Amino acid sequence: MELLLNEQQALLAETAERLASASGGPQRARALRDAGRDLDAEAWAAVVRAGWLGTVVAERHGGLGLGLFELALTLEPAGRRILMTPLAEAAAAAFALSRVGTDAAAQALAGLLDGTRLIVPATRPSAWGLGGGLRDGATLDGVIPFVAFAPSADAFLLATDDIACLVERTSPGVAVETRAQVDGATASAVRFANTVPAAVLARGGAAHGLTAALRDVLALAAGAELLGVAAGAHALALDHIKLRQQFGRPIGSFQVLQHRAVDTFIDVELNRSLLFRVAAALDAGTHHPAMISAVKARTSRAALAATRAALQMHGALGYTDAHDIGLYYKRALALAARYGGELEHTARFSELTLA
Amino acid sequence: MAWDNTTLFVDDDPADRAFRAEVRDWVAANVPAELCNRSTRIDPPALKPWHRKLYERGWIAPHWPKDHGGMGATLTQQIILFEEIARVGAPTPYPHGLNFIGPLIIEAGTPEQKAKHLPPILTGEMTWCQGYSEIGAGSDLASLQASAVLDGDHFVVNGHKVWTTNGHFADWMFALVRTDPDAKPRHAGISMLLIDLKSPGVTVRPIQTIKGDAEFAEEFFADVRVPRENLLGPLNEGWRVANRLLGSERFTTGHPRNAAVLLNKAREVAELTGTSRAPGFLQKLASLEIDLLAFSAYYRHAASLHGHGKAPASMAPVIKIVGGELGQRASELLVEAAGPFGAQAEDLSIGNHAVNPAAEMFEMRRVTVGSGAVEIQRNIIAKRVLGLPG
Repeated sequence: MELLLNEQQALLAETAERLASASGGPQRARALRDAGRDLDAEAWAAVVRAGWLGTVVAERHGGLGLGLFELALTLEPAGRRILMTPLAEAAAAAFALSRVGTDAAAQALAGLLDGTRLIVPATRPSAWGLGGGLRDGATLDGVIPFVAFAPSADAFLLATDDIACLVERTSPGVAVETRAQVDGATASAVRFANTVPAAVLARGGAAHGLTAALRDVLALAAGAELLGVAAGAHALALDHIKLRQQFGRPIGSFQVLQHRAVDTFIDVELNRSLLFRVAAALDAGTHHPAMISAVKARTSRAALAATRAALQMHGALGYTDAHDIGLYYKRALALAARYGGELEHTARFSELTLA
Repeated sequence: MAWDNTTLFVDDDPADRAFRAEVRDWVAANVPAELCNRSTRIDPPALKPWHRKLYERGWIAPHWPKDHGGMGATLTQQIILFEEIARVGAPTPYPHGLNFIGPLIIEAGTPEQKAKHLPPILTGEMTWCQGYSEIGAGSDLASLQASAVLDGDHFVVNGHKVWTTNGHFADWMFALVRTDPDAKPRHAGISMLLIDLKSPGVTVRPIQTIKGDAEFAEEFFADVRVPRENLLGPLNEGWRVANRLLGSERFTTGHPRNAAVLLNKAREVAELTGTSRAPGFLQKLASLEIDLLAFSAYYRHAASLHGHGKAPASMAPVIKIVGGELGQRASELLVEAAGPFGAQAEDLSIGNHAVNPAAEMFEMRRVTVGSGAVEIQRNIIAKRVLGLPG
């Protein structure tokens, strides 16, 4: 269903649609993957110019002074067109930096927003330990697994329950071990050995709060991209089954495929309502923390189901690397795994709602 | 912050909040305690005093226009009324008079039909039932065979209607009958008749449901004479008249609260039986709660779009499908929560109230079948919304 948008939001949605169409698309994503690059520099420059990194940053800090609702408006089309940019990560980092009142944070934020330096979150997934642990002292030791866009980052916003700090990627003791994901994205283990942070942003309770908020934004943002991936795959599948002829008629005339397509349609519709209602509740400060997990669990599940259904409808074409639908499947897989999948977030939802 | 799955995304504007508070206070003071949280069906006669109270307060027909005795309320106000009545476990009036035939008479009825039928629907004096289904006409309703042949100033009705909710309590039936057996397409030969069930030649027999109560009935018509003035809308236009019912009636029958109440019962029963310690149960419960949250978001989203006149064609079928299937899954979890008590015929006592998991589950089977099976709803979305070929 259409969203009820004000004038500014409608303009933003339209711009996002245009930018994603012009700078995204599965062909570009495939070319990047084949070239071993996880970031589309040209698309990223366009996103930075549009100012979306500062969507959830107050105007006095150089941002747009909008909310997560608006960030989601930019991310859904990005997902639909498989835009390979660190918008979710940079926007989340900018959000966190803008909530720290130090000069170092302000300086880092300015560089991030104008596109001169990419800072991505390196945050501890809730289901994973910290390995060696991060000492609350002058130097850092330990590892943060599954950091997105680490090879392209200039610095990390390291965020855990005890400490939040900025670390330069090139600082002594920092090692980035990158593994390619099936969609061409990367997940890296970032190791710190006797590393001196560039700036400590928060400790103790403040770090805990900042990390929790940062992780919420990341999960919601990935959920918005997953919504777009599901919608994009659904659109491709619909086009295909309307055209593809077997037994002398379009296969989309068969009820079994029609009902399968309807189930994807319903899932996407429900998730769009869910995502934007939760984003609005977060912006209004009226949300329950479990709502974030509901979004990430459900958008992960639906994107995988939608892409699987689309793959099946494409028959043997869906099994070829050349066809776009497979790339949507892989994108869903990568984004579902990032920042917690269905199982992890359903368990978290259970804990938070039974308390 | 405690999780309350019955109030998700309630974002009333100030006027709506005031209305909700007013309704809540009035319901608390006036609701008949003996009707609340019953594990068995409440038949229409037992509901009449409560219907009358709502009528006297002016809240019985929020969606009817004011000049026909309604409130002319917004959809949000209608939903608020439903929610506040349901919140205390009280029954809402049956929809056949107030939500189905009432609005159709307002839309398509003659002044005489309006004067005769609308007031007793409002007061609750007259109970109505819907005579659509036949043994050979379920999802394929246009194949119905019950016939009405014009004979002077009367129609002569012959045939058999079945699976009629409250048929054995009803005073009147609104029925789809075939008035032109040769019409092509078939639905062009159907008319809507208002039939007094006390007419000679009508035999009504209750049908026991899978749940064990007599919700249903079947009616046999043998040369039943129905005055010509009881034709609603033009002759052979019954299909169009019936389809004038807007999707907004789904907003109460498909309310997410139905699933929310079942999930809360499942939690309660799981505590009693110890199922609440099973990880599999917790995972299923959370998964259903997440689906309920999504459906609640969709529901509020749809209501606000409807309020702006922007409700899409997919809205009513989606509410029907998701509300029904989610309610069923919740009722199945309730039976699982009961563990070894799941198949027990009598109620389980929890504190001062009773739950009957199997009966709840049986009752939920109706919601994916009645008034258009979910498969038909999926066909509608496939063709009208997704544009898939026929």
